[in-house]
Amino acid sequence: MTGARLAAAHQARRRFLRGFLAVPSAAIALVVFVAMCTAALIAPWIAPQDPYDLTQVSIMDNLLPPGTEAWSGMTHWLGTDGQGRDMLSAMLYGLRISLLVGILSGLIALAIGTLVGLVAAFRGGWLDAVLMRIVDLQLSFPTILVALILLVILGRGVDKIIIALVVVQWAYFARTVRGVALVESARDYVEAARGLRLGAMRILFLHVLPNCLPTMLVIATIQMAQAISLEATLSFLGVGLPPTRPSLGLLIANGFNFLQSGRWWISVLPGVVLLVLIVSVNVLGDRMREILNPHLRR
Amino acid sequence: MIRLALALVTSAMLAAAPALAQNVLTIGVRSEAATLDPHWTQLSADLQVQEHIFEHLVDLDSASQPVPGLAVSWAPLSDTLWEFKLREGVTWHDGTPFTADDVIFSFDRLAAGIAGAPASPAFTLAKGGKVWTRVDDLTVHITTNGPYPTVAEDLAMVPIVARHAAEGVTPSVDFNSGKAAIGTGPFMFEEFSPGNRVSVVKNPGWWGGDPGWDRVVFRPVGQDAARLAALLNGDVDLIDYPPTVDLPQIEANPNFRVSTIPSDRLIYVILSYRHQEAYIKDAAGNTIFPNPIRDWRVRRAMSLGIDRAAIRDRIMGGASEPTRNIVPPGFFGYVDELQPDAYDPDEAKRLLAAAGYPDGFSITFQGPNDRYINDARIIEAIAQMWTRIGIRTEVDTMPRNIYFSELIRGAPETFPGFDMPKFSVALTGWGTVAGEATYTVSGTLETYNAATGGGNGNFGRYSNVYVDALSIRAKQTIDRDARLALLKEATRIGMEDYAYIPIHFQVNKWAMRAGLEHSPRTNERTLAWEVRRVQ
Repeated sequence: MTGARLAAAHQARRRFLRGFLAVPSAAIALVVFVAMCTAALIAPWIAPQDPYDLTQVSIMDNLLPPGTEAWSGMTHWLGTDGQGRDMLSAMLYGLRISLLVGILSGLIALAIGTLVGLVAAFRGGWLDAVLMRIVDLQLSFPTILVALILLVILGRGVDKIIIALVVVQWAYFARTVRGVALVESARDYVEAARGLRLGAMRILFLHVLPNCLPTMLVIATIQMAQAISLEATLSFLGVGLPPTRPSLGLLIANGFNFLQSGRWWISVLPGVVLLVLIVSVNVLGDRMREILNPHLRR
Repeated sequence: MIRLALALVTSAMLAAAPALAQNVLTIGVRSEAATLDPHWTQLSADLQVQEHIFEHLVDLDSASQPVPGLAVSWAPLSDTLWEFKLREGVTWHDGTPFTADDVIFSFDRLAAGIAGAPASPAFTLAKGGKVWTRVDDLTVHITTNGPYPTVAEDLAMVPIVARHAAEGVTPSVDFNSGKAAIGTGPFMFEEFSPGNRVSVVKNPGWWGGDPGWDRVVFRPVGQDAARLAALLNGDVDLIDYPPTVDLPQIEANPNFRVSTIPSDRLIYVILSYRHQEAYIKDAAGNTIFPNPIRDWRVRRAMSLGIDRAAIRDRIMGGASEPTRNIVPPGFFGYVDELQPDAYDPDEAKRLLAAAGYPDGFSITFQGPNDRYINDARIIEAIAQMWTRIGIRTEVDTMPRNIYFSELIRGAPETFPGFDMPKFSVALTGWGTVAGEATYTVSGTLETYNAATGGGNGNFGRYSNVYVDALSIRAKQTIDRDARLALLKEATRIGMEDYAYIPIHFQVNKWAMRAGLEHSPRTNERTLAWEVRRVQ
């Protein structure tokens, strides 16, 4: 019995993966995304330089074009930035921060948003009204403005930027999950479970939640891309991260000042990495929606 | 036929456009003016716009030396009494004649205090215990509570507003609306639109003659690259603070030119002298007692560990002058013997070891990221250099409005009225506005004293009785030679003690389109009548 179930689950997973990869753009996006995650994960071992270690970074090596050999004997394949950081290393470490911030803030916001959405949908009544008005209030302010104000109050650091991103993102999850959960709660299987006098918690988490998962997965992916670009925007505006630990957004901001003097690599390279990252995550999210939503299945 | 007509109209417009545009000067400024009330702040960004409208009794020439303004002459009648003779025939922008009453009103307005003003020049006016009396329509007497040499230099900081226009108005607001923005200066108020532009038009009746432009527009463009782009596109005629990385390209481009003058602005590192400093920690993360900075060897090590030439060449695009002085060369009080410390990381490490820190310590180095030329990048570079000699340096840069309020009074007061700075090690700047060192020595080296105003810029709370004695005596010495000797000695003692660590003097640059000529000022102000068209 269990063996058969496992096999069925395994087969379902393979079917999912095959469906996923049937579209070349999604396959490419997946490969790119996995490669980027791997690179970010093993950055300390593959980066030629630790850009956070100020003894390794020298101002004397600043603004070197790609492929230049510094007097320390190190070749900077992607050049150096205004402070003398090796661009390749800085981008690998920056990617780490961007992914960490995107994934972590996405997951926390997902957890909070899902809980709020489920409770609101299941309980209904005044609690639903109050929670959804809070969500409305949150959604009526521009995301970037709320995040900016929060960061000015909280100060600098990766933890602070994650808090700010969670605060601005949970409402999206709550709103969507509530919608899906409302639809699911009206379904017959929930009625049947209620008829069996199962506990509210049990119905909520074991019956309704699993059926909301596909939608949640899709928004989670899209919100992750959103979080990454939001972090980049905030860094570009000069709040969030300390200047000695640049994320991709901060690298772009630093390079912006050098664009007109022809030092394109400082801004353009991290820009391209950020672009590729966000596009690949978005393509993955889109493909996931196509597979998980039966209405869109061809 | 229609096409021909169109072509004719277009060419006529093209021909007419420069003729019209020639009388308007558009200046792209890095920092925008926040108010037109000349008694409201002390920020250069505000003052440079206000100076087009309002004037002082004493003006400063391009090297910051006092020259006649609304006063034609001044002289001490005794050690404590100065007489100022006012200019005849000057009228306000609305035609009302300018008299000694306006001078007295302006001084009284400042002395009474301006509610809500973040930093009025009242402080400068109050120095020396000045008391002002009107003798007749064109004569004002100033008495001081002791021998006080720099009355004229102080009054160069005090703008004169019109009694009939400014009496009883709401500070700042009524000036920004134009109601009270009636001055005697070369230009008259036209529009104040925050975030967008401030514009002024020519005052045809200015006593100084024709200021050269019919209309001047100040446009704030905070981003360095965007400001340069505005110049390259022709949106503005002249910009201040062109980005240093782009200087070589602008200078090589025949369509643009650059004006240059060494600035009076010293960029330096403040060291804080409290027994324990919140941002100076050992390897375990505990604050160190006693504060290592109180050891001369540590301060010297920090200075020797900074490669000032690298900062000049790699960050400032050559536009800085490394120094160990506190006023630029040529200023009253410059000390020849004080030469910039040469970079010597080995000696720095040796000094740290001798002071008992062979493994160094950790600090957080704070500073503004939008105030001085390349401020954040200088901070990062110094952090690299210090980390190399063993002082592990974290960098924390912030926008200037946050930075300066924390710098001045960020920590809890030790007793009421005694502001305490927050930072342990921080980058800041000091402009010697009056062209001489008396208030640079007094402001940055003297022991902090809220009552006398001594050490009002001494944010590290350095205290040295020898410096104090010399500085306080200098402030009371009218004789220039004697004062110079006192100032030099105070500077020498303070700097050899590494009271703080001077980095460099900024070199001011402006970039403009070809066909303009600008005579730059040491005090960084961009004044429209100092920009001329050339053929």
